[in-house]
Amino acid sequence: MTTNTRTIQKPKPNFETKSWLFMRYSAILLIPLVFGHLILQDVIVGVHRIDLDYVEMRWASIGWRIYDALLLAFAFAHGVNGIRQVLNDFIQSDRGRKFMHWGLFLLWLIVTAIGAIALIGGVRPIS
Amino acid sequence: MSNLKATLTGYASYRGREGHYSFLLHRITGLGTALFLIIHILDTSFVYFFPDLYQHAINLYRSTLFGIAEVGLVFCVFFHGVNGLRVAFFDLIAPRLWSVPKQRFSTKITLLITLLMWIPASAIMLYNLLYHNFGWFGG
Repeated sequence: MTTNTRTIQKPKPNFETKSWLFMRYSAILLIPLVFGHLILQDVIVGVHRIDLDYVEMRWASIGWRIYDALLLAFAFAHGVNGIRQVLNDFIQSDRGRKFMHWGLFLLWLIVTAIGAIALIGGVRPIS
Repeated sequence: MSNLKATLTGYASYRGREGHYSFLLHRITGLGTALFLIIHILDTSFVYFFPDLYQHAINLYRSTLFGIAEVGLVFCVFFHGVNGLRVAFFDLIAPRLWSVPKQRFSTKITLLITLLMWIPASAIMLYNLLYHNFGWFGG
């Protein structure tokens, strides 16, 4: 009896594979970031103690700005890609998907840019 | 529109018990969090673009209606996070755990961990809400 072996080439990861992996790796990173953000801002500090001065004090430290930059970069990309995956269940035509993908990409780009400008620019005094 | 109906009918009529419910809950909590996140990035960016209006946005978050929504939002994030970690662990490290009995057990553990985090967090948030908005506990 002879044994035949067959080699199967692993397909090169395409965009959807990378997006699938990104969701999982970013999830692991977002657990401490987002849980920490929620427990600190919503539970320990609370919205009643958050105002312009609080944001200014918090952003005076570069560490918190980096923390918020990581949140902005990873949480929002994870969220928009999640919306894309959900909408892919509802939109099946190539044309519709293309339209939806570009729409979400623009949404991601614009909102991320607005957030990044504010994060870099910091709190401005009330005029 | 037929795609919409077919997908929604599939979501509702598939009977996968625990795995199915956690799939649906993962999607609903994820969408809820993502929609809030869009608003939250924009309102926080007011500190740079419209500092005069930032306090107005914060005042909306301090309202009783949003205070209750905040408790729901924290549930969404905790469930989505804990369940997402379960999915990531199964997919990346132990795909052999993707079996029906393991799924049934692990979804219940996921919900338990979520509740253990959410109940004390919401107790504190509701305390703050009653203190600041209703004058309870000497507020």
